[in-house]
Amino acid sequence: MGEFNVHRVRFFNYVPSGIRCVAYNNQSNRLAVSRTDGTVEIYNLSANYFQEKFFPGHESRATEALCWAKGQRLFSAGLNGEIIEYDLQALTIKYAVDAFGGPIWSMAASPSGSQLLVGCEDGSVKLFQITPDKIQFERNFDRQKSRILSLSWHPAGTHVAAGSIDYISVFDSKSGSAIGKMLVDRQYMGVSKRKCIIWGVAFLSDGTVISVDSAGKVQIWDSATGTLVKNHLVSNADVQSIAVSAQEDSFVVGTAEGTVFHFQLVSVTSSSSEKQWVRTKPFQHHTHDVRAVAHSPTALISGGTDTHLVIRPLMEKVEVKNYDAALRKITFPHRRLVSCAKKKQLLLFQFAHHLELWRLGSTVATGKNGDTLPLSKNADHLLHLKTKGPENIICSCISPCGGWIACSTASRFFLYRLNYEHDNISLQRVSKMPVFLRSALQILFSEDSTKLFVASNQGSLRVFRLLEGGFTHLHSFQPQSGTVQSMCLLAVSPDGNWLAASGTSAGVHVYNVKQLKLHCTVPAYNFPVTALAIAPNTNNLVIAHSDQQVFEYSIPDKQYTEWSRTVQKQGFHHLWLQRDTPITHISFHPKRPMHILLHDTYMFCLIDKSLPLPNDKTLLYNPLPPTNESDVIRRRTAHAFKISKKYKPLLFVDLLDEKTLVAVERPLDDIIAQLPPPIKKKKFGT
Amino acid sequence: MRLRTARWGLRTCRGRQSPGRPCLLRHSPCACGFRVRGQDGRRVPAARVMVQLRPRASRAPASASAMVDEGQPASEEEAGHGLLLGQPSSGAAAEPLEEDEEGDDEIDDEAPEELTFASAQAEAKEEERRVRETVRRDRALLKEKRKRREELFIEQKKRKLLPDTILEKLTTASQTSVKKSPGKLKEVNLQKKNEERGKGSDSKKAKVQKVQTVGQNKSYMAVRLKDQDLRDSRQEAAKAFIQNCLYGPGTNRTTVNKFLSLENKRLPMKKAAAQFLNNTWGSQRKQNAKRFTKRWMVRKMKTPKT
Repeated sequence: MGEFNVHRVRFFNYVPSGIRCVAYNNQSNRLAVSRTDGTVEIYNLSANYFQEKFFPGHESRATEALCWAKGQRLFSAGLNGEIIEYDLQALTIKYAVDAFGGPIWSMAASPSGSQLLVGCEDGSVKLFQITPDKIQFERNFDRQKSRILSLSWHPAGTHVAAGSIDYISVFDSKSGSAIGKMLVDRQYMGVSKRKCIIWGVAFLSDGTVISVDSAGKVQIWDSATGTLVKNHLVSNADVQSIAVSAQEDSFVVGTAEGTVFHFQLVSVTSSSSEKQWVRTKPFQHHTHDVRAVAHSPTALISGGTDTHLVIRPLMEKVEVKNYDAALRKITFPHRRLVSCAKKKQLLLFQFAHHLELWRLGSTVATGKNGDTLPLSKNADHLLHLKTKGPENIICSCISPCGGWIACSTASRFFLYRLNYEHDNISLQRVSKMPVFLRSALQILFSEDSTKLFVASNQGSLRVFRLLEGGFTHLHSFQPQSGTVQSMCLLAVSPDGNWLAASGTSAGVHVYNVKQLKLHCTVPAYNFPVTALAIAPNTNNLVIAHSDQQVFEYSIPDKQYTEWSRTVQKQGFHHLWLQRDTPITHISFHPKRPMHILLHDTYMFCLIDKSLPLPNDKTLLYNPLPPTNESDVIRRRTAHAFKISKKYKPLLFVDLLDEKTLVAVERPLDDIIAQLPPPIKKKKFGT
Repeated sequence: MRLRTARWGLRTCRGRQSPGRPCLLRHSPCACGFRVRGQDGRRVPAARVMVQLRPRASRAPASASAMVDEGQPASEEEAGHGLLLGQPSSGAAAEPLEEDEEGDDEIDDEAPEELTFASAQAEAKEEERRVRETVRRDRALLKEKRKRREELFIEQKKRKLLPDTILEKLTTASQTSVKKSPGKLKEVNLQKKNEERGKGSDSKKAKVQKVQTVGQNKSYMAVRLKDQDLRDSRQEAAKAFIQNCLYGPGTNRTTVNKFLSLENKRLPMKKAAAQFLNNTWGSQRKQNAKRFTKRWMVRKMKTPKT
């Protein structure tokens, strides 16, 4: 494998934003997650829980509600008073409609999927009709005294329950009049000055309404008579979210202490037909408030202020009890936020509103395996580049020579020229942008830094030539065929001849850059691509998919390589396929064509194609055996996958030169240290 | 001092005195059951008794002293009864005025005066003249007032309008702009250009009429609404509401440090808190120290060149 000096980088201060809303779509098994900075991410739960698409955030868009409607349409509403529809094919926002009720606190789609109900700050509940291309305001329901914080439709679509402050109102959806009002106690068996905020309501088909409020109670009401049936006190802090399963036999609630409770409809005695709601399982997977929960047919999904997305499959619902039924915790991003300029040893970090450029430190000392070498020169923070405007940055890149930085938001494209004199750095912005270059999904520079490749969200791929003062447009490749499956990924070959682009359902397209035409298409695979890279010299395209499959495709020969066919015949090791996190970056050794370096969040691996492949019986993770073992044993246990779990959690690993690696880590404690305050827990003895 | 200008009215004690005591007021027979006797002991006929009621407030201080003076004879009179009437400074209770009663008697007993025609005529003429004079004076005063008011208005109007020089400039500017095409507004001589407008506007947006700050003192500035950040007060209120609900007073929140250190406290070997070290302490001093060390090293490298 070789000996490397590893730059362990921990100065990337990456803090994800907390999860605010979660919406599950049963038909496509997709999960839409919206965060506090306005980002909306779509996870494909059947493709190994991979984050396929995302819509970048906006400072003024504080999303408070998210829902799916008929025909795979995604709507969100927030405190700026607008209802936004997202275009999942073009990966943009279709339109934003102002509801004229002030900030919107809650939104619910009718069970038929053709109507949308919105609860506003001024106490009004507004009904919108979903037309094929837009939404149309239909009617206002009776106006209530205080803000409507939660909404729920009856499964038949006849009634609506709306939770407000200190009371729940039930409306008739045909006429819009309030037919009942249920007053909620401020505290469980007590008096309190603090108002009781009904964070969530759920309407069941037999007319029961389940409400969760800020006093920590889960209450079950009968909407026909307006009386309280059952009262469960589950927590001392707020209970902030509720989700009911489609069969209405179980629901899940999330509290501010980070606990998620599962309630089930259980018969009173084993023989009787009478059933009641019983709290069955508590789960403590979060440290901070759980502000959103969802219930899929087989799993409980929760997300909150501590930025983790936790998917807990329910054992009684899962048919096959294999590794798929394990807990999934998604914390780190599924795409690359770090770019590296290898020659100058520069790292570019992408944040939501700014970019940071760092130069790595250097050392002159040497040591043995496992030593920590002292730095003779510390890492240098060269540049802090803020983007103008309220939008978040979608993607960014630095050229391999370190002379150009490009980044893009949803409406603007920025290109900067960097000059280095001794230790100083000077920045110059390229101001003349072509009109058609508005936003980019992915940016890539060629190896010799003369060309810029931009994948825009209209589906087209543009090639620009970089000149000293600016850049000129060379060519646009036509929009790729097939529907957009996930975010576009780009890879360019080191000799500059080939460009690979993924993201559509048609497969990975390979273009000839010199002749500016499509060369070939790698056959489509039903899992989305997570990482893409082209090897030097051999021009083999290495593709990693979200189900942990790795393919190698030879571009000049237009077919899979021998090694790839062998791997597919034998299959990967079962531990390799059971990894949770996707591979986000692939790179190569300049002198050794048989080596592939790839990494995911908890390991990095050097695949040596010359060594034999491991079968299911061999140990996959075998670190270096002690030197007193005989050579024979070492040769017998050695296999192609050399995995190291020394540095984790990893955000980026790359080979700087033949003897140096850089590993950008982000310890979880550093993220937690910057989160908002959690609820106090009193423990005995502290 | 006689109070001729005092008000008159029929006086009565209104039966407020207790039946057993003598009524101190002189009045006609009423519920108190006492007959009033005049100063000379004669019985006073009811109709002719005049009572001095409360004097007006404006004259209260003057009347107070006067009443106090008058109060003396009154009190002297009733001193015989063994009571003293306290006189309030304003609003005196109804009290008798003996002097005018005597005056009335005098007027009644004496014969009327003799007046000649000439003197009466003279007096009437005098009267007329005086009246005419007063009317004329009033009219003149009114006219004066009106004139002054008109002048004031004119003055104010003049102040409101801009000085003439600038008005001229404006009229010429508007004329020239009308003559030329709308896109050539830059050629007009303006006194002061707003920086915002200069940056943002170009010939494409020439429809927007540029505001010319013509004031001498430049006390205001025109800005574009697009450049200001519009703060939606309802959105801010909503954000404040949710912040208050979740993190405001009454919520049981703790810091992340304390939350993560709970376990450290319960371990058999107690450890320090999760964020025990404050790495941001003294950052400026550390930077200075680093710079000093660098400079010192450079100096050290240079000097031992023996």
